[in-house]
Amino acid sequence: MSNDHKVIGKSIPRLDARSKVLGEARYADDLSLPGMLYVKVVRSPHPNARIRSIDTSRARNYPGVISVLTAQDIPGEKLMGPIIKDQPVLCGEAVGYVGDAVALVGAETEQAAEEALELIKVDYEILAPVLDPFKAMEPGAPQVHSGGNIGTHSKVRRGDMEAAFRDATVVVEKRFFYPRVEHAYMEPEVAVVAPDPGGGVTVWSSTQYAHLDREEVSRVLGLPQSRVRVHQMMTGGGFGGKINPHAQCLAALIAWKAGRPAKLRYSREESLISSYKCHPFVMDMKLGANREGKLLALEATLVGNTGAYLLQGKAVITKSATHVSGPYYIPNIKADAYAVFTNCVPCGAMRGYGVPQVTFALESLMDELTGRLGLDPIELRMRNALDTTLPNATGQVMGASVPIKEMLGKAKLTVQSFKLLLQQAPAKGKLRAVGVGCSTRGIGSIRKPSRSTAVVSLHPDGSATVACGHVDLGQGSDTMMAQVAAEELGVDVDRVNVVTNDTAISPDCESTSASRVTYLSGNAVRLAAAKARRRVLEIAAGDLGCAPEELRLMNGSVVYREQGVTLAGLFSKHTFHSVTSVAEFLPDTVPPDPETGQGRPAGTYNFNVHVALVEVDEGTGQIRILRYLALTDVGHMINPLIVEGQVHGGMMMGLGSALMEEVKVENGVTNTSFATYLIPTTFDVPQELLIGVVEEPEPTGPFGAKGFAEGSLDPVGATIANAVSKAIGVRVTRLPMTSERIHELLSQR
Amino acid sequence: MNITHNIRVIINGQTREISVAPNETLQDLLRYRLGLVGTKSGCETGDCGACTVIVDGKAVNSCLVLAVESNGSSVTTIEGISSNGELHPLQQAFIDHGAVQCGFCTPGMILAAKSLLDEDPNANEKDIRLALAGNLCRCTGYVSILKAVAAVGKTLRGGK
Repeated sequence: MSNDHKVIGKSIPRLDARSKVLGEARYADDLSLPGMLYVKVVRSPHPNARIRSIDTSRARNYPGVISVLTAQDIPGEKLMGPIIKDQPVLCGEAVGYVGDAVALVGAETEQAAEEALELIKVDYEILAPVLDPFKAMEPGAPQVHSGGNIGTHSKVRRGDMEAAFRDATVVVEKRFFYPRVEHAYMEPEVAVVAPDPGGGVTVWSSTQYAHLDREEVSRVLGLPQSRVRVHQMMTGGGFGGKINPHAQCLAALIAWKAGRPAKLRYSREESLISSYKCHPFVMDMKLGANREGKLLALEATLVGNTGAYLLQGKAVITKSATHVSGPYYIPNIKADAYAVFTNCVPCGAMRGYGVPQVTFALESLMDELTGRLGLDPIELRMRNALDTTLPNATGQVMGASVPIKEMLGKAKLTVQSFKLLLQQAPAKGKLRAVGVGCSTRGIGSIRKPSRSTAVVSLHPDGSATVACGHVDLGQGSDTMMAQVAAEELGVDVDRVNVVTNDTAISPDCESTSASRVTYLSGNAVRLAAAKARRRVLEIAAGDLGCAPEELRLMNGSVVYREQGVTLAGLFSKHTFHSVTSVAEFLPDTVPPDPETGQGRPAGTYNFNVHVALVEVDEGTGQIRILRYLALTDVGHMINPLIVEGQVHGGMMMGLGSALMEEVKVENGVTNTSFATYLIPTTFDVPQELLIGVVEEPEPTGPFGAKGFAEGSLDPVGATIANAVSKAIGVRVTRLPMTSERIHELLSQR
Repeated sequence: MNITHNIRVIINGQTREISVAPNETLQDLLRYRLGLVGTKSGCETGDCGACTVIVDGKAVNSCLVLAVESNGSSVTTIEGISSNGELHPLQQAFIDHGAVQCGFCTPGMILAAKSLLDEDPNANEKDIRLALAGNLCRCTGYVSILKAVAAVGKTLRGGK
């Protein structure tokens, strides 16, 4: 397949790399405008309190202060959020967590704004908080919002559970804990907003979804969306964490009220305290199999602590429930997943979106089963793996590109090679073992279909402009979109300019999340480019008196047999300046039924199989990853260099959640810097991190491609936990596996 | 309140006389006053390394250095290691190895690596890990970065 392609499947370095290594790439905080004000935010020190009054008089009179705002100054909507709009832009009556925004200062200097914060007196009536999700579900618990503390209940129902568990030879059951994790994008939240003379505002922001910035700023200011223009600046990572344009709305309020440009940049501490996190889950899971190791039934109760606001909580919880059976066929399933309100920091989207959590629980129980059945871990998984005829938890059968069995076959060879290293005697006091973990994920939104739109303009000099709304956060999607368009239009990649970062140019394609960009926008860009090409070839065919199929586009010319007609000449003759085409892609999906979870929620699925060789220090409980294999399924690769980068990054992020990362909350977040919230460094990279890509083209994907960027994280916690459990002889049920926790488990042996 | 100090500092080879506030960090001076915004600000507590610059040959977190402390020093930022569009070998290697994703850690990472290789072209894999351990990256998992730096080290040693 790839042999026919000029640029698809090639390791083209990302197009913005040169500007980034030169330090020329511009991020939002690199922008300063004349007359720009600096914005600072008063945040709640209490997890649950009513606001009696706010006295801003002293701050207003402080030298350099231009504007002080509270909730009552908001001209438009007072609540915001990415999906569920339930977070106050500024809290007027009550605060729901430590870090909730209460008031704003806009001043001539950052220092003046900071000093004025201290002068704002908020009179709180402090109330008892509820921080634990199980306590929050008890009768009589403090209510985070009226309407009860259960924000979402998502269900999967299939088959006859009672009968299935009765028929099971082996049943394993445990409670698992997955931590609250911080995205830790290297660039904290930043927004610059300037009022336009025409009666609107322009926003320059660090964002995963420029059009959501537009929507929320327009709602909060009470402006038409057409009067808000958002430029996504180079964005220093997102990982799901930059889909809530809170900083943008706060900066916009000051800019709008003061009539001057305004910048808000969160400090790292502010980002860690106030931004939403990955949902911590408590999972009770029960799995039954027959004597041959065929899975018969799965029952799960998943409790996600969504914090003070629901934001994307409903969607995350639904994703976890619909992915509860992983890449296996299980005929009988009952899953109940809850998003529970507490007075903790809110949780929302993070790379994985509920899937790493359930994968940890399920894969741990799979390994428990192997022990009880006396089966090899790969063999048990092979016997239950999905294929093109078997349905996943939602009842969806994928007719193609389900290479999980092939991947398990490859993993088996790796397990054997890693096991050779087990036979080398490790140093005294070191325990070694190999573990396996598998995962699958639906690409794109599960809760509703999502559409991508692309506009492709082919210019007379043969270059092309692509407008599409999926912003690039650094993962390289703009480069891949350029490759898709270049392939269709017969031009070099550097002749294609992809514009995803300007809401006045690029159509709304929903957020850059859910591993959706390659699949959805890749298709939209391909379709639009193909349409433009077809149109040009049809016009040329009319002139040449041949069929369009006899023609092709190459480097700005239409080629007919050995002759070329330049696009410039052709366009001029037919009075075209450029040829512009628009196309959309909407996958054929059916959202899960609210009562049963059954549907056809994703256009395609990605599969992953990981293998880890770990070494545990018996004295300290410290874990080292000696060898690691991440096998990933991407359909057909558009850009191997970018695929490799995503797999490395996802694996190392998963390693963080597995071994060290946990956002701790005691009233508010307590690890408020990178000195106390530790993420992996160069020292944590396994001595050998192997990547294997299995290419089984997805028929509905652009050039056979599908999304995969979250998949490289999904099974990491499970894989390492399975290896560590085997090494120490005790089942790990809680991540992260800090040395202290493993030391404690070792003492239980 | 408005006490300032006059400092003389060589920035990317150019001698500058600048008046700085006593609480002004080198990072803020570079970014917000001199417009050298290639130096990034990721935490301002010395934990992430995004603001790494080279001062008198050593990689330092510019958020932890007061501007006055750089008086008499030579400072190199990411803007100062290429000449006339000719990339430094580390810059080229970062591109070629896919060691750049979001790019926010990239300037600091490249300067930390440059400081290491300038001092010790024979740096081995462990030395590279150690030299870059204070520079956080959340996108790449460090794998391609380590490879890029090792490849430049090898070239410097005349290997291929």
